[in-house]
Amino acid sequence: MSDVSATMDFRRRDAADKLRGRTRYTVDRYLPGMLHAAVLRAGVPSGRIVRLDTSRAARMPGVRAIVTAADAPGMMGIGIADHPLFARDVIRYDGEPLAAVAAGTLAQAQAALAAIDVEIEPLPAVITMADALASDAPLVHPNWRDYEVLLEGGARKGNVAWEATVVRGNVDAAFARADVEIIESSFRVGRQNHVAFEPRAVVASYEDGRFHIETSTQVPWGIRNATARLLGVPPSQVRVTVPPVGGGFGLKFDLAIEPFAALLARASGRPVRLVNSREEEMLTCLFRENADVRIRSAVTRQGDIVGREAVVLMDCGAYGGEQIFLTTMTAHTLGGNYRLGSVRLVSRALYTNTAPNGAFRCCNGVYNTFALERHTDEIAARIGMDPLLFRRRNVLGDKDLGATGQVFEADVLSPMLERMDTLRDAAAPRPARTDGRLYGRATTVGTWFVFVGPSAATVNMNADGTATLVTSGVEIGSGSMMQGLPQIVASTVGIPPESVVVRAADTDAAGYDVGVGGGRTTVSLGAASLSAAQEVRAKLLKVASEMIEAAPEDLVMRHGRVEIAGAPGSGRTVAEVATYAQAKHGPVSGTGAFTGTGVPAMPGCVAGHFIDAIDMPVFAVHDCEVAVDPETGHVEVLNYRVVQDVGRALNPRAIHGQIQGGVVQGLGYALHEEVTMGSNGRVCQSGFETYRVPLALDVVPVEISLYEGAPSMGPLGTKGAGEVPILNVGAAIACAVANATGKRIQELPLTPPRVLELLLDRKRDLTLPHIAEAWADNLVRPHKTPQGNA
Amino acid sequence: MGLSLTVNGDRLASAADPTTPLVDILREELHLTGAKPVCREGFCGACMVLIDGKPTPSCLMPAALADGCEIHTVEGLTTHGQLNRIQSALEASDAVQCGMCFPGMVVSLTHLLTTRPDATREDIRAALTGNICRCTGYERIVDATLLALATK
Ligand code: FES
Ligand code: FES
Repeated sequence: MSDVSATMDFRRRDAADKLRGRTRYTVDRYLPGMLHAAVLRAGVPSGRIVRLDTSRAARMPGVRAIVTAADAPGMMGIGIADHPLFARDVIRYDGEPLAAVAAGTLAQAQAALAAIDVEIEPLPAVITMADALASDAPLVHPNWRDYEVLLEGGARKGNVAWEATVVRGNVDAAFARADVEIIESSFRVGRQNHVAFEPRAVVASYEDGRFHIETSTQVPWGIRNATARLLGVPPSQVRVTVPPVGGGFGLKFDLAIEPFAALLARASGRPVRLVNSREEEMLTCLFRENADVRIRSAVTRQGDIVGREAVVLMDCGAYGGEQIFLTTMTAHTLGGNYRLGSVRLVSRALYTNTAPNGAFRCCNGVYNTFALERHTDEIAARIGMDPLLFRRRNVLGDKDLGATGQVFEADVLSPMLERMDTLRDAAAPRPARTDGRLYGRATTVGTWFVFVGPSAATVNMNADGTATLVTSGVEIGSGSMMQGLPQIVASTVGIPPESVVVRAADTDAAGYDVGVGGGRTTVSLGAASLSAAQEVRAKLLKVASEMIEAAPEDLVMRHGRVEIAGAPGSGRTVAEVATYAQAKHGPVSGTGAFTGTGVPAMPGCVAGHFIDAIDMPVFAVHDCEVAVDPETGHVEVLNYRVVQDVGRALNPRAIHGQIQGGVVQGLGYALHEEVTMGSNGRVCQSGFETYRVPLALDVVPVEISLYEGAPSMGPLGTKGAGEVPILNVGAAIACAVANATGKRIQELPLTPPRVLELLLDRKRDLTLPHIAEAWADNLVRPHKTPQGNA
Repeated sequence: MGLSLTVNGDRLASAADPTTPLVDILREELHLTGAKPVCREGFCGACMVLIDGKPTPSCLMPAALADGCEIHTVEGLTTHGQLNRIQSALEASDAVQCGMCFPGMVVSLTHLLTTRPDATREDIRAALTGNICRCTGYERIVDATLLALATK
């Protein structure tokens, strides 16, 4: 396949310009003649628009265009099309867009916003999930029945935007067994803000009857299709290009402000720049959702989990958006770690009158892993088994069933736990602990997956011996586009990775792609790139065999040459072969396409899921030690270790960087990042002063061991490595703090006041009265039990 | 009354309102987009520039206060386009991810390198509390700074 290993220590080519301040992100683009836009947003969580009059604003100085709901007829969503671009008649969250203005300067645009006459009649609001489930709750979408359903299968009703269920085996029978202990745990987590450094930003123009949108996004094709849908034009009328992106973490996996700019560009005939202010980003960022989780297990005293049930409530905010899709994840993040005799899970996305939530690195997984791992420790404590022993005994191995009945391949978590034991044992013992602090340690496991889906790639061989890789992939900071992909192409055609030019995403130039996220870049785009490069390789070898007069199978491609195997220095350079090929047969190029093959679930186990079984599970084992100050409640992380399943590491150094960064982002989630909602439905943390992300002084160096060799359908055996590192940080920290303090931990983040409350026994056990006692009473629609799955 | 700013050694006149934050003049008038307005609250350090040699967030500073000062932005820290010591070390350490925080980091660390040649790991971490990075988890940045300090 290739004659050079794709594993390299290849540095990022985009670093030097980023370090010089030369890289032009979307937020740095200023086009000649460009207008500046601003968005008018509602200041109430729920209300009826009585009057929205833009005529006075339209006469303000510099104003070139104003657009409102009347200009954007379509509705968007994943699963259900419930989301208009602008509030139409009804306001469903504080911060919801009402109108957008383009003017000569930003100050003029903002002045015009203030001149829009709006009259809103406030309506009762549903702020919490408990409010949403109350029997007399006002409906966030009274007309929910009328929405177009984009994917059949999820149950819906009232404020339940979507419900996905898993039932495998007979859980009632398991819970009724005489030889089991029943352990029940409840958890609650708040929202997390991505705080991507580049805010969402767009520059749109309308040229030759088509929209051109330059935007800071992870999903160029998603933006193209969703914008077209909202604007009511064919998708082919929208071109999306993407400059380097200043951080995504999932924030930029959904449509944001692009259609506003596109509409204004069409209306004004000028390019329009729209950039979210930091405050807009803080208040309406598509947070990681807040969630309430109850898990109950029937476990034998020997440590077998014979039955498990869970209810996961996910707050989707005012619109379903990605949360609808994310209800799917529960089956895999709660049900892909341990062997379960029988299982039933329900994951519900609930509407509230709050800003919509979205995807964030290991979406849904971080809190389900936190809940599951705390629950696991509570089980071990109840049956009197060492928690690590319990994990070793129960982690999924070869041929074991996941929650949805899919069959897992190979023992991966078990040897990873052993690897962690070795790492831990090799560490220098800590000096005696005499400072009065409480010390604790924990090891947790986590399962995530690579979200595969379709990708396309083209490799154009250039006559100078370089290759241009054309895809819809976006460099969001992880290095997948700048390191992993060029390495794959380079090793296949035998040129240095520096000689692979990576084309920035452009939906007019490259084929369809699901987007950069879910750890899929190296896998899906990588597989497409590999197959495109292989086509190029085959063509070049054929031409070279004519030139060198040797059979193609006797040739190797390496170090920029096509040579006879075993005869270094023989043959021709790749550039000579490419030049000759171009002259004689025309330019050489190859195309590749990829999508997940699909792994079957057990029939009848799942309802309302977007992915019934996971194509590519990815595992992680985290271990940490903490010290808790009993006076202040401050948690210090003393050390942190990660064993991560990477399939195969193409660029270990780059992966290490992702793990260090992901763990630190997870430490923020575990220890101090918290978004809270005022009773007025407004997010309380409007900036960096009130929302505290980790600083350099908060972090520890992460000790990392990459676990290679687990089965993978990824190119060259790879798996995505950038998403997973955040997965079990909350779990590891919570379990370690519980071990240090002996207290029951049910909530994150573990801020000093919260830890202090626990230490002083001022914190009452968390109860979730809006989760019904009997599992089935939590469902809108009973899960049909098929034959053979009883 | 116009402003007279000396940016990266060039004297420039600006007709902007003197209360305009310096970062906006740098970016929008002078097209020096290295300084990034990320938080606009003085917390993140992404908009850091040197003012008379001192690292200063340019987001909170009214341009009038910089009038007559020597301003250096990240774009002015390379000589003939060559990366300086800390930039080279950051590049060699593969420290950069999305890169949005790095122009500000480079400004702060360039200053640290000259003023604290004996800085320890802990000193560097303490010095970096005014420069937030959301991507990297900081360790590579600290490693690179130690590397730069060691390569005099
Ligand atoms: S933008 Fe100036 S410190 Fe954050
Ligand atoms: S590299 Fe992205 S914020 Fe630092």
